[in-house]
Amino acid sequence: MDKLKALFVTEALELIADLERVLLEFEKDLHNEESVQVIFRVMHTLKGSASMFGFDTLSALTHDLETVYDAIRDGKIIATLEILDITLKSVDHLKKVIHDPSLGNSDLLKKHHDLLTAIKKVAQLHHDEIGADYSIGKSFLATYYIYCKPSFSIFKNGTNPLFLIDDLVALGDALVLPRMDLLPDFNHMNPGECYTSFEVILVTDKPAAEISGVFIFVEDACEIIIEKISEANLLLHDSFVARMKGDHDLSVAPFGLEIVMRLAENATVTPEAKSVQFVATRVDSSSIRVASDKLDELMNLVSELVTSQARLSLLAEQHGLAELTNVSENMEKITRRLRDNAFNICLVPIESLVIRFQRLVRDLSKELKKEIDFVAEGTDTELDRSIIEKVTDPILHILRNCLDHGIESPEERVRQGKKKEGKINLKAFHSGTSVVIQIKDDGRGVDIEKVRQKAIAKGLIKKETLYSEQEIIDLIFSPGFSTADQITDVSGRGVGMDIVRRNIESIQGEVTLTSILGQGTTISIKLPLTLSIVDGMLVQIGDSKYILPLTAIDKCYEIEARRISSDLSQKHVFDGMLLPVFNLHQVFREKANEHGVIQIIKIAYEAFPIGITVDQVIGEYQAVMKPLGNMYHDQDEFSGATILGDGSVALVIDTDKLIKQLTAKVVENNVLVN
Amino acid sequence: MESDILQSQSYLTFRLGDEIFAASVLSVIEILELSKITKVPGSPHFMRGVINLRGNVLPVIDARLKFGLPRIDDTVNTCVMVLSIECEEQKITIGALVDAVQEVLEIDRKDIQPAPSIGSKYRTEFIDGMVKRNDDFIMVLDLDLVFSQDEIMLLQNTEGNVA
Repeated sequence: MDKLKALFVTEALELIADLERVLLEFEKDLHNEESVQVIFRVMHTLKGSASMFGFDTLSALTHDLETVYDAIRDGKIIATLEILDITLKSVDHLKKVIHDPSLGNSDLLKKHHDLLTAIKKVAQLHHDEIGADYSIGKSFLATYYIYCKPSFSIFKNGTNPLFLIDDLVALGDALVLPRMDLLPDFNHMNPGECYTSFEVILVTDKPAAEISGVFIFVEDACEIIIEKISEANLLLHDSFVARMKGDHDLSVAPFGLEIVMRLAENATVTPEAKSVQFVATRVDSSSIRVASDKLDELMNLVSELVTSQARLSLLAEQHGLAELTNVSENMEKITRRLRDNAFNICLVPIESLVIRFQRLVRDLSKELKKEIDFVAEGTDTELDRSIIEKVTDPILHILRNCLDHGIESPEERVRQGKKKEGKINLKAFHSGTSVVIQIKDDGRGVDIEKVRQKAIAKGLIKKETLYSEQEIIDLIFSPGFSTADQITDVSGRGVGMDIVRRNIESIQGEVTLTSILGQGTTISIKLPLTLSIVDGMLVQIGDSKYILPLTAIDKCYEIEARRISSDLSQKHVFDGMLLPVFNLHQVFREKANEHGVIQIIKIAYEAFPIGITVDQVIGEYQAVMKPLGNMYHDQDEFSGATILGDGSVALVIDTDKLIKQLTAKVVENNVLVN
Repeated sequence: MESDILQSQSYLTFRLGDEIFAASVLSVIEILELSKITKVPGSPHFMRGVINLRGNVLPVIDARLKFGLPRIDDTVNTCVMVLSIECEEQKITIGALVDAVQEVLEIDRKDIQPAPSIGSKYRTEFIDGMVKRNDDFIMVLDLDLVFSQDEIMLLQNTEGNVA
């Protein structure tokens, strides 16, 4: 039973999170009937399972809430922000109650009763204010598209297609469009053959099976398409009907399912209909719950498999047996697919995070008396579960900073000619192999001059030295900076930003901040898709093998070894372009190859491409990442190591960081020379 | 404080150059034959690189260089002692490259004499004490100190300053 209860708790927490999300959505549009439906349904489910598992306090509170939303649904109560406020408070309360269902904590007990009375009061208070025409015709109507093209010889079976159509029309409201495009000219017409096909738009509450039942006896004699095109009654949409009817020209070809679907979509792009679709997809996606340690185990096994696979490939190559090679190549394909699938399973859309962010923004903006418009985009972007866990706190921190220091008070905003509501935009998107989460506000921005003064006072930079704006802004992330108490007044930023950066770098991410004074700040967090396996290119440099991430590699060139000088950085022309090249032999103190050819690998680096020298490109390699450990903590040009097929270890190069270091070194050397 | 049972402890002895050292067996996990070491460019000179320890990456420290002895070519006796040491309240596993591993000895706590100042040949702060065995002296090491992270960082920094 305890196990079941634990299961209930996870499920209930998920339901509560769902509820929170819909409630926040509802807050934006209090007339959205669909939201009310969803809220009611989630509450109902929650109440049901709570009482089943003996969480009586939980179910009692949910029951009262449900009553309120039932009344809203039936138009007996009008939804107000007050109701919503109490609901959200109750939701918070539920989260606590679920861990202490007997209300052992006296605070909790008191809160519980307060909420119960509050809910009852709300239900009473609004009971009289009945909206006049607020009743909603509850229905499960759906619109189907049916295409029926009887075979030419259908009359010979004694079937009259018109009867079929009659049967269809009997199921509900229908728009029947006969199509006679196949009608031959008079001389070739055979009166014993059927040339007419039918397109029917049917609105019915009957299931699809009943529709196909109409055609049960003529399945072989007709070409039939039955497809649900909308959850709503499309015949009520005039534009859709008009488009379907066309100009009553019977000789036009059938529209076909695709076009009708598109028309249906166009016709229903009202917010109301959109949310219908949204709900529908939510219900349809079937999923199962899996304990996360099982997933970890799966990932570990896949990693081991990939390593063993590398060993097998090497053996097959060494022995040169055709059959073995065959098997090994086949295995490699399967391994790769298994790996990709296992990865996908571990990916979670960041949507789950966004609810928490929305809630924080809502609560904090009320507290700070600021008006904030929080918009989240790209919430379906997926990230590895472990990364999501680690990135939550930094983002919460950034948002808190945004609200507290970034966005000005409404009065101040108006004085500056800005809109009264501050805007915070959270945007997630893919960029190459990384996912970028961008948090943008239109607040007061960072005052670079003040940051500079502060940094000088703190002894972080020297007064005489000139720094670029970006360098100054980067100071916000330095540890000494954040601990200063007054800094909030000065820069508006910087509280604990060093911790934000450290947390994000610990998962191989990057965080950057750009800001325009008076116009706002943008913080970008760049994260890797996954941490455990990377697709890489195995290369030989001197005596050692290294892995370069495949995604960083743009192109490979060959060059005669004697043309490479022993300088750290040099320039060569490839494809008619001057490419800066770093001599990695020199960097890694590997023996330089003086004869034959050297491969130059062109790497996509931030703003411009960079070449690096390697002796030989061995091939593609799936690198299972192993941490190098604390001992090599300072060497972040290597993101880890991997075990090769022969059991030796190869280092995985983080090209971005390596090139950054090398460029810094070159600049430093130049400064010394000058 | 220490009870009688702890008076006598097992130590593993190993050789570096002409000297014999002893390390508590409690810290030694296993002894590996020398396999291919992958060097990590840009790391301190006494960090020989990393090896594959059953699918995990193990950093290997050259004990000779760490102790300030000259570097020599690896021999058939050269091996890696896999050690579990504690640094900054964290258990980490590292490999230490030594010239040869010898035997396990029972050493009575009271036989360990304080280390005399033995000139600048060794860095004496790592040495717990000395034990006389036949005609030789064995140096008992405090492994946590020898390989602790702080110490490594310190060396790294000094090296950086010199270069």
